[in-house]
Amino acid sequence: MSLVSGPGRATGTASDQSLHTLKHVDYIKNLDTRKDELEYWLTEHLRLNGVYWGLTALHLLGHPDALSRDETIDFVLSCQRENGGFGAAPGHDAHMLYTVSAVQILATVDAVDELEKRGRGGKQKVGAFIASLQNREDGSFMGDQWGETDTRFLYGALNALSLLGLLDLLDVPKAVTYVQSCENFDGAYGICPGAESHAGQVFTCVGALTIAGRLDLVNKDRLGAWLSERQVDNGGFNGRPEKLVDACYTWWVGSALAMIDRLHWIDGKKLAAFVLQCQDPEAGGFADRPGNMVDVYHTHFGIAGLSLLGFEGLQEVDPVYCMPKSVIARCLGK
Amino acid sequence: MADTYANNPEWSDVTPIPLDDGSESGAMPLATIAYPDEYLDATSYLRAVMAANEMSERALKLTENVISMNPAHYTVWIYRARILFALDKDLLEELEWLNGISLKYLKNYQIWSHRQILMASETHFSTLPPKELDFLMEMFAQDSKNYHVWTYRHWLVRRFGLWDLPRELEDVDALLKADVRNNSAWNHRYMLRFGPRADKPDGGMVAAGTGKVPGVHDVVDEDVVDSELEVAKKAILKAPENRSPWWYARGVLRAASRELGEWEEFAGLFVKGEVKSTHAVEWLADVYAKERAEEAVGMLTMLKEKYDPVRKNYWDYRIKMLGQVA
Repeated sequence: MSLVSGPGRATGTASDQSLHTLKHVDYIKNLDTRKDELEYWLTEHLRLNGVYWGLTALHLLGHPDALSRDETIDFVLSCQRENGGFGAAPGHDAHMLYTVSAVQILATVDAVDELEKRGRGGKQKVGAFIASLQNREDGSFMGDQWGETDTRFLYGALNALSLLGLLDLLDVPKAVTYVQSCENFDGAYGICPGAESHAGQVFTCVGALTIAGRLDLVNKDRLGAWLSERQVDNGGFNGRPEKLVDACYTWWVGSALAMIDRLHWIDGKKLAAFVLQCQDPEAGGFADRPGNMVDVYHTHFGIAGLSLLGFEGLQEVDPVYCMPKSVIARCLGK
Repeated sequence: MADTYANNPEWSDVTPIPLDDGSESGAMPLATIAYPDEYLDATSYLRAVMAANEMSERALKLTENVISMNPAHYTVWIYRARILFALDKDLLEELEWLNGISLKYLKNYQIWSHRQILMASETHFSTLPPKELDFLMEMFAQDSKNYHVWTYRHWLVRRFGLWDLPRELEDVDALLKADVRNNSAWNHRYMLRFGPRADKPDGGMVAAGTGKVPGVHDVVDEDVVDSELEVAKKAILKAPENRSPWWYARGVLRAASRELGEWEEFAGLFVKGEVKSTHAVEWLADVYAKERAEEAVGMLTMLKEKYDPVRKNYWDYRIKMLGQVA
């Protein structure tokens, strides 16, 4: 899946409140024909994430078969390494972020069992790779063997291992304590202890606590206040105080509010109107802000955000996993 | 292809490992990637030396070349750090080189992870290198809210115990003077003044994850608390609707187990007559909540109806929590 931005720009207007579903489906399907562009190989390090973004958006748009299931599975498996983890693209070293995307993609197309049939060592080996990245002393997670920590990795580990039914490979209570140490004086969470509160990291921390069944540790009123303050006059969300709005925060802020049952604290209509202005009604795709170039990342999070708001015509998204609710129901039996 | 590794005699002993895009395993890649020849050439030699675990000058140069073409290539950074340590290179020189790359790729985070790995070496850095903070200020001149740089700076404070280094607070002051709305700088200020100083557990609010209320100190220096509250007041007078110092003041008071009521008069300055700060209105609502519920509802209703109707449901919830009908 190409991550090349453009060619279109977000030229949606306030008066056009419709979602151009078929345009977005075409936009995502055609991403793969863009391999001759310079940006294509510069974004190679994100390729498996890109497949997850594109595929999930297509499922939410109600076009789950727009990408070939067989080719998708083949590509995912071609990114797996000997140690059980997955790289961003074939030949790349294994990393937490891509391993999580691989599991999410396989779960979405109902192909987790392919890991046993054709993968390297089955799901147990994937789980062991993820579990090996946990720091057993403080509960945090590295992205790869080299030790960078980020609450994104911690969330990813809980996300993927719960989908695989292998959460018991982790020290979940220690992970929970680590998340607590990332809380700040404003009630929100950062990338590691002491780092500034950031809406993206709030999503990962609250998501991790939800999967761990420990939402009781969150001061929901205070966090909800901080999150709802992210909505600015034009209806969109920013990720930190005094920063620019961005369509992707529709997801990060909105899902966290949904997990703590406070999504109704913001103005959903205004938010949806902002997101719709971020779409290119002609060539499809979403951008970070009206007027800017579209890309698959913002397309995915824009659509997921609209789904969260209950936008008509979209499949329901699960706020914890950022995958279709029907998929999560199948995987987790709920 | 003039200057390729393939026709360079210095590399003739190495057999390059071409990219395995999965096609040989029978998998039809969904995304076959068209790389520029130069990049394909360099990375095929990179794979070869990495597979052989070669720790050499030429490999170090090769990593530099690959990074210059694609700094987001996460694996090459790991390999580069290992070579630097194996060859016992001058890490100050490496930092100099990194400075240039960092200023060129402001959004890249692998660079900062690499810097942290180097700086973590107690053998090489027993004290903070003198130019380090200058360089961080250079980064902040480009983007004073750069998340990776601030996270690194917080780590640096803990790594070298810089809480009371005058330069830390001076830099925060300078950045807040330039932009009083810089929330990143406010966060750093809180961590300098009220973050935990023990080595373990590492760093966020005191008492986080212990079951006690996070951020509440057993003992505080009341002079520091008072002077920090003054800093927040001055900032608020400059820009009353700026959220950051209001949150900061709440954090400071909580650290000292002191009451919001201390600021009743100060907050009132922005509410009486013409409302100049919605945060002051909310502050008064919190102060009144304990014993003057009706007045608190008055404040919350003002926010709901006039100043912040976007969050109508939030304010309704707050009113409901006071036991009043919305």
